Amino acid sequence: MEEVKNNSGQNLGIAALITAVITFVLAVIPCVGLIAIIPGIIAIVLASVGLSQASRSNSPRGVLIAGLIIAIIASMISFSQIFVAGKIVKKADNWPNNIHNIINDVQDNVTKEIEDAHVSIKVESNGEKVEINTNANKKDQEKTLENLEGVNIQKHDTIQKHDSIQKHDSIQKHVIVRKKK
Amino acid sequence: MIVSRSMIVFKNMLLSERKNNTAQNLKVKLRNEPYLIINIFFAGVILVIFAYSGIFSPEKDNYPVVCIHEKLTGQPCVSCGLSHSFSLIVRGRVEEAYHWNSYGMRIFLFFVAQLVLRVAFSIFYLKYPDTRKQLIIVDCIGSGIIFFVAFWPFIVSIITGVLSTVS
Repeated sequence: MEEVKNNSGQNLGIAALITAVITFVLAVIPCVGLIAIIPGIIAIVLASVGLSQASRSNSPRGVLIAGLIIAIIASMISFSQIFVAGKIVKKADNWPNNIHNIINDVQDNVTKEIEDAHVSIKVESNGEKVEINTNANKKDQEKTLENLEGVNIQKHDTIQKHDSIQKHDSIQKHVIVRKKK
Repeated sequence: MIVSRSMIVFKNMLLSERKNNTAQNLKVKLRNEPYLIINIFFAGVILVIFAYSGIFSPEKDNYPVVCIHEKLTGQPCVSCGLSHSFSLIVRGRVEEAYHWNSYGMRIFLFFVAQLVLRVAFSIFYLKYPDTRKQLIIVDCIGSGIIFFVAFWPFIVSIITGVLSTVS
């Protein structure tokens, strides 16, 4: 006896395969990959229903199985993107704190460097030379300030800077900058 | 006069019957050939993509599809600017399209190739019924390879994203 095969579930199989392929293409594009999970689930449901119908009536299942496999792979790709985006968002929640810490670190480093900095700037224009020497060494600054002002400087929580400017054409300038922290 | 009129009516009836028969035959053929239905549907989807690129202009920037990845994470993804790129390619401004998305051209070419292949394979399918199975296998493998070549940068970005989050 010949086996009688009908096409029940075939239409669902075609629909599932088309949806699955579209889902696959969408899932691979990162911009819309996150929403590809919706057609992916639809394709899986269509293929599953089609398979159950096909198994009851002994009809061909090639298209249905192909649709189901492609839909599952596409959904997994889409889900992986949701997972990645979720992780990035979680990390992004900690970014403000991290940025604050980084700014503090940079501030501390800059302050430390400034304490021992020695800067020399030379400017030449039409034969005239101007040289600016800045020594930000804290101890030197205190001594210079004591010499200049003849007053004892309280240390406490203040940062003192001393900029001395020398001009070669017998012009000398001293700039004292006090900065409160 | 009456005879000639009745003849015309009869002819029209015959023609309409023939038309109905051909339509029914086509329906039956399509029902029995899922490959053709799939090809027609994909060709339609590709044409819709081209229409989308043509309707929405890069100058107005009125694209309804926005990057969900960028909205969620605040970082642009590899496929950002693809709609702009497609619109510019459709308008013949290829150099500008490269600026919007460097992978836009290869993906656009993938869709063009798929449209051509859908039409060509459907014709071959109807013309040479003996080689249908081979044709479908060649189509699946060929389209798969073209797909991976076109979308490779996106696939790589997804894999690296997953790996970096896992590690």
